[in-house]
Amino acid sequence: MSPEAQQDFALAFLSILFEGAPFIFLGTLASGFIDVYLPSGTMDRFLPKNRNASIFVAGLLGAVFPVCECAVVPVIRRLVGKGLPVSCALTYMLAAPIVNPITALSTWKAFQGQDAFAMVGSRLLLGYALAVAVGLIAARLPITAILRKKLADSLESSGKPAEQQPGHDHHCGCDHDHHHNHDEKTCCGHDHSHSPTGGEKLVAAFRSAMKDFVDVAVYFSIGVSITALFNTGIAPGAEWLDSLAGSPTGAPAALMILAFVLSLCSTSDAFIAATLDKFSWAAKLAFLTYGPMVDVKLIFLYQTVLRKRFIIMLATGLFLATGVVSFLLT
Amino acid sequence: MSPRLSRILFGTAVLVWSGVMLYFYASGRINKYLAPDFRLLSMLGGLGLGVLGLFNILTSGANTTCGHDHGPGEDHHHDHQSSDLHPLVALVLMLVPIGLSTAWTKDEYSPAALARKGAYDSPSENVFLASALPPLTRESVEQNHIKSPAGYYQFSLMELFFATGDRDYQSVIDGMKIETEGRLIDEKNNNSNGTRRRLYRLFITCCVADSRAIPIIAEFNAPPPDIPENDWVRISGTMTYPKENGELHPVLQVEDISPADPPYEESFLRN
Repeated sequence: MSPEAQQDFALAFLSILFEGAPFIFLGTLASGFIDVYLPSGTMDRFLPKNRNASIFVAGLLGAVFPVCECAVVPVIRRLVGKGLPVSCALTYMLAAPIVNPITALSTWKAFQGQDAFAMVGSRLLLGYALAVAVGLIAARLPITAILRKKLADSLESSGKPAEQQPGHDHHCGCDHDHHHNHDEKTCCGHDHSHSPTGGEKLVAAFRSAMKDFVDVAVYFSIGVSITALFNTGIAPGAEWLDSLAGSPTGAPAALMILAFVLSLCSTSDAFIAATLDKFSWAAKLAFLTYGPMVDVKLIFLYQTVLRKRFIIMLATGLFLATGVVSFLLT
Repeated sequence: MSPRLSRILFGTAVLVWSGVMLYFYASGRINKYLAPDFRLLSMLGGLGLGVLGLFNILTSGANTTCGHDHGPGEDHHHDHQSSDLHPLVALVLMLVPIGLSTAWTKDEYSPAALARKGAYDSPSENVFLASALPPLTRESVEQNHIKSPAGYYQFSLMELFFATGDRDYQSVIDGMKIETEGRLIDEKNNNSNGTRRRLYRLFITCCVADSRAIPIIAEFNAPPPDIPENDWVRISGTMTYPKENGELHPVLQVEDISPADPPYEESFLRN
């Protein structure tokens, strides 16, 4: 890289980092505290009994429990294990990174001077609609077609929502593995009653927040580096990417692929999108909607919960649906 | 790697991010990177990260729990602290880009990047911000624009630039004696005589990565003075909008030029 290219890369990199890092911090701090302080059954209580209605409500839970896409996967893994309907869990997983106040605030800030309210509104609306659509479809599929075999088997063998099973809902206060089999009548042989103190919980919340921040910051750092290279014309494909900017089908497709590769956090991706000034508003909307639902890192994270075939169908379906909406809006 | 060492390393990485953000804010260099309303957020984010990193380092040895219930089928030995990546890989990815950028930055773009930011675009390709300007009449010029003792009205480059695509604006400004300031760079288009240079400023929406160059042409009708590339200057002259190669261009016929100090806000801001 020439000294001039280094100078340009550095300026763009630092400016996007300075702009986005506070929002990542805010998001990961929230998710860290939710992780530790939110009792596991809280979310279930917000959902109505009716299956379809519960899917619609699940799409809005991110407004109350704001987590980014990296943090949401471990959360839904836990909730599914505890009996939350898979369709609701999927809806929450896809919607929460977009339909939450931190993402809305960061999008609004990033798009100042570029129809900020319209972008925030359409992003939230499209993200919510797509997540609910996936939830409604998932509700009509057998659980074995969606969840990983091991997880589906454990739910099917229980034959009832897992939170009704006794003996599993204990505070894990020890630093060792709990790989033991216990049935309804026997104890696993150690004390389950050791609740953490307030100080321990605070330490745990800050550790969880730092873990989330590091996970997100690593991908953010990579994403910002690539963006800075394209933004300043250093990357070899920058001209090619620009050439697609005027195409009503090519532009959203290119930005969705870019979002997939960059794997940005939903709390900070708007700051990247706002810099793509050669692209249309609708293409940026596709970037901001598809990225939080499907990207490289999420593909890996989803595999801890979902079947590979379902992940491919999900990624393809969302790509096409988001692309069509973006095309219609162009 | 032990969980404690991992916590200390991650805490240190978070502290480095915090330190860089706070340093740029405290030194005032943040002004070259962010629009004003993002600067305070950056400082608060830097402080928050400092607290997060320091707290985790200081409590790295404390034994604690994950603090919540675990269900069936869930991995009970998750510790909520280890990253998805190997700690050293995560550390390198977090620290190398920010470290190199801090070392490489000169707080401004090179001419090549400026060209990409629109420094050589014709105004017709750059009209997306024209709506930001208020209406202009001869009366409003008299009221809102300061007139120098030599009889030149002070205009911002933004007004001179966007008048190219706005007939009403142009009819008011065309032929007017004006004074403006900006950074001087070489002129690469329609400059076979070598008598032209280009005057520009950046317009920032949120951060300098989303900035656009706002340029006009400075016509000296003689070899331009020897002023270093990208230096700030104040230019007085007569504003014209001639048609060249089928397109209108904002051309300032220079009558006087002098070095100028950079303004406090070097870029135009959306507010």
